[in-house]
Amino acid sequence: MLWSSDFPQIADTTLRQLSRTIDRGYLTFSREYGASIEAFFDPLLHFLIWFERILLGAPWWSVVLVTAAIGYLAARSWKLFAGIVIALCLIGVFGMWENTMRTMAMILVCTLLSILIGIPIGIFMARSNRGQKSILPVLDVMQTMPSFVYLIPVVMLLGIGRVPGLIAVVIYAIAPVIRLTNLGIRLVEKEALEAADAFGASRLQKLLKVQLPLALPNIMAGINQTIMMALAMVVIASMIGVRGLGQPVLQAVTNQYFALGLFNGTAVVILAIIFDRVTQGFGLRLQKHREGAPQ
Amino acid sequence: MTLFKKSSLAAMTLAISAIGTGVAHAECGDVTIAEMNWASAQAAARVDAFILKHGYGCNAETVPGDTMPTATSMSEKASPDIAPELWMNAVTEPIERAVAQKRLEIAGNVLEDPAKNAGEGWWVPRYMVEKNPALSTIAGIKKNVGLFKDPEDPSKGRVVGCPSGWACQITTQNLFKAYDMESAGFNLVDPGSGAALAGAIFKAYNRGEGVLAYYWAPTALLSKLDMVRVDLGNFDAKEFTDCTAIANCPNPKPNSFPVPEIKTVVATDFAKRSPAAMAYLKARVWSAKDFGSVLEFMEKEQANGQVAAEWFLQNRPDAWSKWVPADVAAKVKAAL
Repeated sequence: MLWSSDFPQIADTTLRQLSRTIDRGYLTFSREYGASIEAFFDPLLHFLIWFERILLGAPWWSVVLVTAAIGYLAARSWKLFAGIVIALCLIGVFGMWENTMRTMAMILVCTLLSILIGIPIGIFMARSNRGQKSILPVLDVMQTMPSFVYLIPVVMLLGIGRVPGLIAVVIYAIAPVIRLTNLGIRLVEKEALEAADAFGASRLQKLLKVQLPLALPNIMAGINQTIMMALAMVVIASMIGVRGLGQPVLQAVTNQYFALGLFNGTAVVILAIIFDRVTQGFGLRLQKHREGAPQ
Repeated sequence: MTLFKKSSLAAMTLAISAIGTGVAHAECGDVTIAEMNWASAQAAARVDAFILKHGYGCNAETVPGDTMPTATSMSEKASPDIAPELWMNAVTEPIERAVAQKRLEIAGNVLEDPAKNAGEGWWVPRYMVEKNPALSTIAGIKKNVGLFKDPEDPSKGRVVGCPSGWACQITTQNLFKAYDMESAGFNLVDPGSGAALAGAIFKAYNRGEGVLAYYWAPTALLSKLDMVRVDLGNFDAKEFTDCTAIANCPNPKPNSFPVPEIKTVVATDFAKRSPAAMAYLKARVWSAKDFGSVLEFMEKEQANGQVAAEWFLQNRPDAWSKWVPADVAAKVKAAL
């Protein structure tokens, strides 16, 4: 009859049976292994808490100065130094210091973790075509899957708080550093590698002294994007109990507090700009050295 | 040949049904029903939408909502037309103002005997109370911080509070302060979202761990998990409006959560336009048993509001046919 209008689908009961079986399986799994998986992530949690305590416990001016000094060292620009001091002081004056420090700690750890995991994966992908073929779709899933789809299972497994937040952020933000490390290494000219071969460089020497340095602009762009994407996840992370700038944003959104949302959103943007300028400046300086070296 | 017949038949049915709905719409017209983002309100909204659509010929449509935004939109813009399950405590003031200005009307209770069957509270799993009956009161909980360990701060206990931005965040914060939970060694943790709050409770319950959390009934979670509402003492209405519900109240006193007013709120325009539909909304008071059965069904079958509403209408005609005149009941039955 209406054979063309309804798609022939699995019977409702079968479908429900299927989802119930999957759910029950997951619940049993989390009951059996939840505690040990939690224990596995414990060191990470301690590190996160420890780092946050340092940022929150240190006198505010020292955090401002150290951040600005890092900015200066990375980019060798007094303008950046002054910009960071002004921006962070503004954040403090508007009463967002604690939340900003929490978010900064979270984002820094997430970025560090993304780099530590992402660059080796990128290198592996660049070396193996098959590896690239199998990892690319995984990256696509990680970047497009709506976060709450995997967040709630993670909450079931690890509870609410920093670790599930960290996992969510890293899953979303790690892709650019992997993609651009891979791309950067693949774009290294064959001649450069041949030259390295001619000098009898080992695989490791080729990687560390030719491929990675030449791929650096791309890798730095990847790290930069990873930081930006991690910051974009701040609000989502706060939805599973990560403290920081996301919470007031969430509060503002549900209550239509326009100004509160704007202030905290701006603080996220300021953090993003600081991170962006510092990493960009650092990347540029690394490349200058490289250009200067051959003479 | 047969194909031609079928398609012309289909076209005719289409035309007839278009005429049919056209006539029906003249009485009731377009209705938007707020479908809040929790299970009980979803089922309630879908049941109302189904009955209004098929029983009263309204062009009923559900729109997603949440307590604060929906109440604001209704009191300011009289849209959506119906909020089938509005928790009034947080939004009493704007709704009452709109009622006084004849823009909104309160049709009635959603649930019978709300004092017993509904409400917010701090909950602990029954397996904890069975081991230690003292845990059913706040004083007993304060003496047993160690049973509610905060994983991020193991030297302390944890109260999983109400998500950021929800009205209950203020009351929970004030009660936390009033009961001096901090000096008893507790942290108040913001779960950030309803999903995470439910996830955190479920995770602990699933593994038999200790948990003390804010939640509310009637919900699928609490119909599935056997939890006990912690006795927070007597409710003081004056203290509640003057302090417990006020953000950053300087000196909150021990208090409890109020008996919830869960009402069906309707835009006056719609109530005037369709008195028959309004009469239905007034008569539609769920019994705790029926409400619980719908929530349990949703949980067990992983059903959404629509499926649950259809299941309820199909399987509990005795419950809902009391809400409507016989001819409407017949029309709804025919549409099932």
